[in-house]
This record gives sequence, structure tokens and C-alpha cells, in this order.
Amino acid sequence: MEILSAPSSVMRRIPTLLRAGALVLACLSPACVGTIGGSSEDQAAVQSIPERSAFPRLTHAQWENSVRDVLRLDAPPGFSASFTGDPLGGVFDNNEAVLSVTPNLWADYQRAAEELASLVVSDPAKVDALVPADEGQGNEARARAFIEAVGKRAYRRPLTAPEINQLVALFNEAPSLIDGDPFLAGVEHVLSALFQSPHFIYRVEGTRTPRPDGLIPLGPYERAARLSYLLWNTMPDDVLFEAAAAGELDTQEGLRTHAERMLADPQARDVVLAFHRQLFDFRKFEDLYKDPAVFPEFVPEIGKDLVREAELFVEDVVFEQEGGLTALLTSRTAFVNDRLAGIYEVDAPNGAEFGKVELDAEKRSGILTRAGFLAANGTARASDPIHRGVFVNLRVLCARLPPPPNNVPPLPPVEGKTTREIVASHTGKGTCGASCHGTLINPAGFAFENYDAIGRYRAEDNGFPVDAADAYPLGGGMASFSDALTWSQLLAESREANECFAKNWLEFAYGRDAEVEDAKFIAKLGEASRTGMSVKELLLELVSSDAFSTRRPVEVAQ
Amino acid sequence: MNRRHLLRGLFGVSLALPFLESFSPRKAEAGAGDVPPFAIFMRQANGVVQQTNDEPEMFWPSQTGALTTESMKAESDRAVSELSEYASRLLLVKGINFAFPGNGCGHSGGGNQCLTAQKVSTDPVGNESLAMGESIDNRIARELNAPGVEPLTLYAGKKAGYINEVLSYRDAKVIRAAEHNPINAYKALFGLSDLDPEVLKRLAAQRKSVNDLVREQMQSLMSRKELGKADRDRLDLHFQSIRDLEVGLQCALTKEEVAAMEVMSPDARANDNLEKVARMQMDIIALAMACGTTRAATIQIGDGNDSTEYYINGVRQKSFHKISHRIDSDGSEGPPIEGAYLLHHEIDRIHARMFKYLLDKLAAYDLGSGSLLDFGVAVWLNDLGNKYHSYTDVPYVLVGGANGYLKTGQYVDVNGVHNGRLLGTIGAALGCKNAAGGPLDDFGDPELPKGMLTEIIA
Repeated sequence: MEILSAPSSVMRRIPTLLRAGALVLACLSPACVGTIGGSSEDQAAVQSIPERSAFPRLTHAQWENSVRDVLRLDAPPGFSASFTGDPLGGVFDNNEAVLSVTPNLWADYQRAAEELASLVVSDPAKVDALVPADEGQGNEARARAFIEAVGKRAYRRPLTAPEINQLVALFNEAPSLIDGDPFLAGVEHVLSALFQSPHFIYRVEGTRTPRPDGLIPLGPYERAARLSYLLWNTMPDDVLFEAAAAGELDTQEGLRTHAERMLADPQARDVVLAFHRQLFDFRKFEDLYKDPAVFPEFVPEIGKDLVREAELFVEDVVFEQEGGLTALLTSRTAFVNDRLAGIYEVDAPNGAEFGKVELDAEKRSGILTRAGFLAANGTARASDPIHRGVFVNLRVLCARLPPPPNNVPPLPPVEGKTTREIVASHTGKGTCGASCHGTLINPAGFAFENYDAIGRYRAEDNGFPVDAADAYPLGGGMASFSDALTWSQLLAESREANECFAKNWLEFAYGRDAEVEDAKFIAKLGEASRTGMSVKELLLELVSSDAFSTRRPVEVAQ
Repeated sequence: MNRRHLLRGLFGVSLALPFLESFSPRKAEAGAGDVPPFAIFMRQANGVVQQTNDEPEMFWPSQTGALTTESMKAESDRAVSELSEYASRLLLVKGINFAFPGNGCGHSGGGNQCLTAQKVSTDPVGNESLAMGESIDNRIARELNAPGVEPLTLYAGKKAGYINEVLSYRDAKVIRAAEHNPINAYKALFGLSDLDPEVLKRLAAQRKSVNDLVREQMQSLMSRKELGKADRDRLDLHFQSIRDLEVGLQCALTKEEVAAMEVMSPDARANDNLEKVARMQMDIIALAMACGTTRAATIQIGDGNDSTEYYINGVRQKSFHKISHRIDSDGSEGPPIEGAYLLHHEIDRIHARMFKYLLDKLAAYDLGSGSLLDFGVAVWLNDLGNKYHSYTDVPYVLVGGANGYLKTGQYVDVNGVHNGRLLGTIGAALGCKNAAGGPLDDFGDPELPKGMLTEIIA
């Protein structure tokens, strides 16, 4: 869906840097650049943030968590497992652009709302958690109290008087529609309506008067919702509601203070993991096929091990080491069980359970030298420099790879003895693939030639010494590296990788594409990341910006 | 009865009626013209083994013209011979091209065009590129279904994340999510099928009461002055999606079939379950058409550049995508796969047999005046032509005459016509109209030459 009638110079999107990526020879001449576009001019405040939806829909995970919290359940109900999925919207699953209520999803929501409502009324304990006890105040008063309290959680703000009255009317109509106890019929009917309401399904943001600089400050409850969905992937808790009511979220300092509190909660870990899981495509680790004749140790269970290893590593980097991109790319702390220990040539400290180890400083570095990434970007038998290189270009460097041609020309005959030589003979310098493969894709992938199809370290490939050295354009010059360790270090120190990390976090945190207007902020965050800012601090910066706490006035649709 | 149990019961306990009895509402009185024609599209990825500069013809018959079961059986080395039983209802159409280039990825470019005949987006590009207009199943549903009734959009196989669903477009760049899990698809369509009519009436009243409130809330949000276009479109789609329950139709699969779907549910995306899932989805499609639930359905076999590892003679093969490139790589270089074209041909046959399963299901619904298959048209199509992933000679195999509109029992070579003309003609066969009220002769990008594909009209 395009936005109409905005000046094209302002609304032009940053060409979606993470999107190119078919893996064929590129006989193209356009320069392959690894930078993020954007304007360096000072813009007015209103042009410092892009226009965005006032109706971002809950993701299915957010729906689950929100239902749990509205109904005070112990665990998410799990109903969304059968919901219609959403189309891909880039790297992350929370891009507001693709989150729509289609007829099929609407039917899913309806059925789930009805099931939730009947689930509650069939269990007195669940009803008691939502409805005030009968202390002689009368059913009308109890119904109102129930509607006000549960409605506030469902809409993530206090209900207006007309909204309360509408729901009371619905409550009173229920006994004519639902058999059994009339009061419970009311509870059931109202719950069903709350979960089908657009005020539950969307994080509706209202409209109000702009500030003098033209930006519209979000209301306190809207800020609370943005905060809680970003850091906990669910609705605000009572503390946040109280903070909203008390005006504590009206300032960027106040937002930051609450964000710090929330980051210390275990729920924040799930969000941080979700970011890395999607960015580094952990899901792919679970469904890998390796030739059992070559890799008998690569048993089916190892897929889940690789995911768990990666999760434990990310948790350690972000929450124990309080690190950022540098630690992610260079920390040698690892978590292995007996199945993974062999790949890393270490002993498993806890046997079948995961245990913490330090990997060999000569052979391993951070996440790009770990078995998950390497095996997921390896073929059934061999390393796969092209996939590894494309991944690093797209996901770590946000490099713009122009689309490859639609029709691949006939290939030159295979020459060379090592994987690297074969790939280079087809796509390297001096071939038609030189512009992208030769300068960007191949070097970024050759760096990992010390690791085979399942991520084991090797000094030889096919009986010949591995050559993992190359150079890549970073910081305006060519940066040379000797292997994946020095390559990881170069990436960690580069402006490009740190801006890319910041851009990805911005897209994930805000649930939208990065736009031209974000370029300055991304550059600032990237520089901070390059000089040591942790992931936690990066998140705090993201919540204490105008892009987080204000809206840009919309260009009204024609 | 407790509603929770009741709702649970919807999906657990199906009508214990014999298969053909379970869609009784239409069966009893169906006569010629009573069943509005429908269209079903099954997509195969990665092209087929048809004649190229260095590979033999293994897909089409050797001669154009009339098809008979005997003539097709005589050429058992051709993939379409799997369908010889349906010779008299077959319409093989060679010579269909995609009109527009892809944008950096042949697969997404082909997937985007095969049911839309539209250009491919420049942003996003590559494997994420999208079609610039609606697909024919959407057009059929929009024009011929009751308001708010979607085309059925199903999927069999893994979602690998490189390219997932490619077929059904609501509008330019707005792709419709495909349901990969049969039990979800079944519940969404027929979940209420075994409710007692009185209970159903009450449920309809409850839903109406909630829907009225929700519609009011939606209208209030939609009446905001400062709505951007994307938000207006989003709320419009949501508002149109709210439907009241219609009481009356009772359609269900057997208890055993539904139970098998429940069992399949956690592993519906697994590589090894693709063919089973495809057949379950086809059961649902056939039932949906028998019950008049929708007039258009799509089923996509495999992900965008189908990476399924199919079994041939009991042996799990390399990914179909690699086989289709004839090399052991998803890129452009890699060691050759020995006999890859023969493996590809076998995979073409696997698709032919899956398609035949759909035909068998449709044919099994005897409506008195003919089988369900004759009232509609089922299409087995591809989003690429051959091993070079070309956009020319993309195979379209039609079965069923859409209630006599299409001229079946023949193999035609239309010699280079854009696919919009074929898709439009299928739309016209079902009753879709152009802006002037004539038969749909301008489907697809407005730059394309207009006209019907007269060669296939009876």
C-alpha cells in the first residue's frame, strides 16, 4: 500500500536494504554500495520522523500475550497457532505494513474470542479473577466494574463513558442470546466483544493537537502500549498504567526510567531473543539436511541444539556481558552440549545439558563463526561462500546488492581445486560477476572457508590449504582481513555494520520499515554502537526519541 | 450444553454420514445450470521438462489436436499421460507466455505473474518482488462471490522464507496469505457444519449482536478526518471482513478425514508430508466447490522456488529447485546432478498425480446432471516454463469445461499469447465481465492487448 500525496523527496523510502538477494551470477555494472542512504541536511522536526500507521495490528504473539494479561491467565491460550499467517514483510514479523485483518483472520479472531469467553465462564476461578465479588452492590454495579477493569486492559486505556454504556447494554442483552446464568451470559458476551474490538486488535493511536514543532505527542496510554509491546511484546502492566495516569511517561526521561525497569524483567529477554532469532534466521537451523555419509554426527536433534546454543549465546552477550554488536561478533563464550562439543573441539562441561565454555581464540569468534550460521549457510556436503557472503552483506552490513539478472548465462567450465577457487572462477574478479560477487559477496563469504558444511574448523579444503583472506570495502577504503576472526573484528569496528545493526533494531522496535527520515538517527545510533553502546542502551535510546513518543501528522488520503 | 464443549464439538465430531451425503443441500436438486461454474488453480514451481535446445520433450503430447485416452496412453513417456483418463475433459494449452520481465528473481517474477498477468514491482525487488495487480482468483471472488467471501487460498509444503506464497493478490503489492494447515482451512470453512439448526440460530444472533457493536466502532475509526491511505485501506478491508453467520448450509468431510487433519496439524509444513497435505487441501477445495462456498481456489505446491525434497522410487532427492537447475546448488554454479532432467520429469509426474487426485475428488461428486468436475475448471499451472526458468511456453493444463464454456478434449498451441488472455477467458467462462459489461477480455496489465483466447472456447 502506497502513501499518496506526500512530497516524493521526503517520502521516498530508503531503498529496502535488506531485500535484494537472489543468488545467481550478476552481470551488472551498477556499483554495489554498502551504505545507508539519507539526507544530511537539517530537517524540521516534523520531517525528522516518518509518517506511520495509527493502527498497527497485534502480531499473533502479541495477541497471545495480550489475551493472557487481559484475562489474568497463567499462560497464553495458544489459539493463534491456527490463525491465518501473515505474508512476509521483510526481516521481522511485526512490520505494520503487512499486518491486516483479512476475512480469514477476522473469522479466526471471532472464533478465538468466542472460545476465550466460554473458557472463562466455564471456570469459576477465572471469573473471580475478572469480576468483583458479590458484596451486595448489585449485578449492574458488578457488571460495570468488570467492564471498566477488563475493558481498560483490553483497550489499553480507560474506557470512555459512552463505551462503558455500550458494553453494559451488550451485557444486559446477553441473557436473551446465551442460555444459563444471566450474569455469566453477560460476562461471556462482553468478553467476546472485547476481543473482537478494533481497540483490542489494533494499537489504536488517537489524534490530538500538534506541539509547536509540528509533531503530535502520543497520549500517555499510547506511550505505555508502545513501551510494553516493544520491551515485553504484550500489553502494559498495572505499573505502567499507573505511570501513564500519573503523567510519568510524558517525558523522555520518564519513558527511559520505565524502560530500564522493564529491561530487567525476564520478559525482555524473549523480545531480545526474538530480534536475533529473526535477524540471524535461527529457525532455519532446525531444518538442515547434511549428507549422513559425510557427517554422521549431524543427527536430527542437532537442529534444535543449534537454536538453543544461539539463544544462550545472545542472552549471555546482551544480559550477562551487557554487550552490543561487538560482543555479538567477537565474544568467544559459547554454550555446548555433548552433540555440539565435537564441532567446536571442546569438552561438554554438562554432558547432554548445555554448559558454558570459552572457544579457541585461534579458531573462533562471535556469532558468525558458530555452527548455526555456518551450517545453515552450507550445502549438504560443502561450505557455501556465496550464501554466507550474501547473508553478511544483507543482514550484517545492510549492503545494497542490485538484483541479479533474470536469466543466468551459460557457466564457464569448472576450474580450481578448492571451493573458493571454483566459486571465484565463476563469479570472481575478471568474470561477469565481478562487480557484486567479486567485490562484495565472495570476500564476505570466503572469510568463512575455514569452516565446513556443519561449521567444523578446517585448515584444508579438498586436501589443499584454505585461503580465507580477502578485502572488503569498508569506511571508504578497502579493509583487508586474513580469516573469519579478523573479518568479525573489522565488522565490529565498522560504521557500516553498526549502522546496519541500529537500522535493524529500529525496524524491529518500531514495527515498521526504516525510512529516509530515520537516516540521521540511525547514523547517530550506529556511531554509538561502534564506540561500545550495549544492546540495552540502544533500546533505551530508541524509546527516548521523538520517533518513539510522537507522531507525524498524516497526509490525508484523497 | 456448555458453549465451550459445543464449540469444541464442532471440529471433533463430524456428521457420520456417508461421504456423498454430507453435502446434501445441493445434491438433491442440482440440475444443469444450478451449479455456478468455479475455477481451481494448482501451482507447480520450477518449470517442467519440455523440449529445449538440449533436452527432449517429456511433457506435452507429440501432436496438437483432439485428445483421447488411447492417444495419451500411447505416449506414456509424457508427463500429461498421467491424466489420460480425463482426455475428453482435458484442455492442454501450450504457447502461453508471461508478458513482463521479472525483477531480479525469476521465481518471484513468475509466481507474481502466473495468476495476475501484471508487471512485477520495482520496490520491493528480487525474491521479495510482488505483483502490481490482482490475481484472477481474486477477480472471480470479488465479482462473483457474495460480498466478503474470499477465494480459498491454500498451500502445501514448507515455508522456507526465501519466497513463500506467490499466487493470490488482493491488489497491487497486496498478497493474500495462504493457509498451509488443512485443519485450519477446514475449520474456517466448515467448522460449524454439524451444529443443530436451533443452536446455529442462537449463535448467529450472538454474533450479530457483537458484530453490530464492532461495526459501529470501526465506522467511528473510519470517520476520522486524518486517515492516511494505508490506514484507510486497512480499516476498509477489516470492515468488509465482518460477516454475519448465514444459517442453512451443512457441509462436512467425514469424521476420519477430519481426524487425519488434526493429526497432521503439527507437521503440516514438513517436507515429507507435502503430498498428503496437498491431498487434504484438495478434499477441502472439492467440498468447498460442491457446497458453493466460493467460486475460486488456489493451491500452491511447495514454497516460491519449491525447495521440497521429493521422493522418487522411495529415495529422498535433492531439493526440487536444485534439480530444476540441474546442479547441486541454489545458485548458478555447482556440480551437475546426474540425470537431473529425468528426476525433474518424475517430479512433473508427481504433480500430475496430485492434480489427478483433485480431479478424482471433483468427479466423485455426482450432481445428478453431471459430475462436479464438469461444472468448473481445474487448472494445473506453473510459474516458469522450463529448466532455464523461462517465461515462455509456461504450461497451463485445464480440466473441465466450466459448464460447457470451454472446448475440452484437445491440445492447442496458441503460439505465444500472454497469460492474461487465458486467465481472462477462464474468468469469462465463470461469468466475469469487463468494464463495458462484456465477457472479461482485458484481464491483467492495461498495456496488454485485449481479447479472448478463442481457441479454447466451445
